[in-house]
Amino acid sequence: MTEPRFDELIHPGTRLSIVGLLAAADWVEFALLRDKLGMSDSALSKQLSTLEAAGYLAVERRVSDGRRRVRVRLTPTGRGAFQGHVAALRQIVAAAESEHALA
Amino acid sequence: MEPQITPAEARAALEAVDRSRLRVIQEIDLPVWYWWGLALGWVALGFITDLKHPWLTTAATLLFGAVHATVAPRIANGRHRTRRLSVSADIAGFRTGRLVLGCVAALGVLTVGFALAANADGARHPVTVASILVAVIILLGGPRLLAAIRRNREAALDAAR
Repeated sequence: MTEPRFDELIHPGTRLSIVGLLAAADWVEFALLRDKLGMSDSALSKQLSTLEAAGYLAVERRVSDGRRRVRVRLTPTGRGAFQGHVAALRQIVAAAESEHALA
Repeated sequence: MEPQITPAEARAALEAVDRSRLRVIQEIDLPVWYWWGLALGWVALGFITDLKHPWLTTAATLLFGAVHATVAPRIANGRHRTRRLSVSADIAGFRTGRLVLGCVAALGVLTVGFALAANADGARHPVTVASILVAVIILLGGPRLLAAIRRNREAALDAAR
């Protein structure tokens, strides 16, 4: 059972989508992440830098088939923070629903 | 720290998380080359079997099995359709690989059944005929099987809401 913990860093919409997508994968290439989320390179880089600075994700640069590829993956810290955040969101929704049921 | 968001905002955030998961579920698949390789290998094996050289059939079967045993464990789980992402095991489903390999084994049994039927019908190359039929099933049915698995994973996501 994950402890609910609202995370201000993850919560903003774009970052939540990025972390949500990464949480469902072992790793994702930068270009695919950009295409899936419909973001520009610079906007995505900025958000990734913020999350990387917090220790939530790791960016790996490698050369494969003569092409430079960038892989992004959540760190265990990032995965834990995401799970805690989702649990906190569920708790907020559940509390509102139980209040509504009692009213 | 107490979150300063409303239940409606929390609900919207959870929906955004689900949309992200759905984007990854859409990537559960096998590379197209796997189905083509399997189908062509199947026909080649059938053709070689019809040549009625036991040593050649044995060698071809071992080669086919070895190649498949090398390739399948990495991709049959549906997590590596492309080299652009690796779907996590819990999103792809832990049974996907076993299901795909189980279907491949069932197709082996089906090939024998088709070959026996073709032989009884007087076909000159019964195993080739049977393997061509199964190859068509692989090419048409393989992608459909993975589509069904994706729908199943989406339903599992719905159920978890």
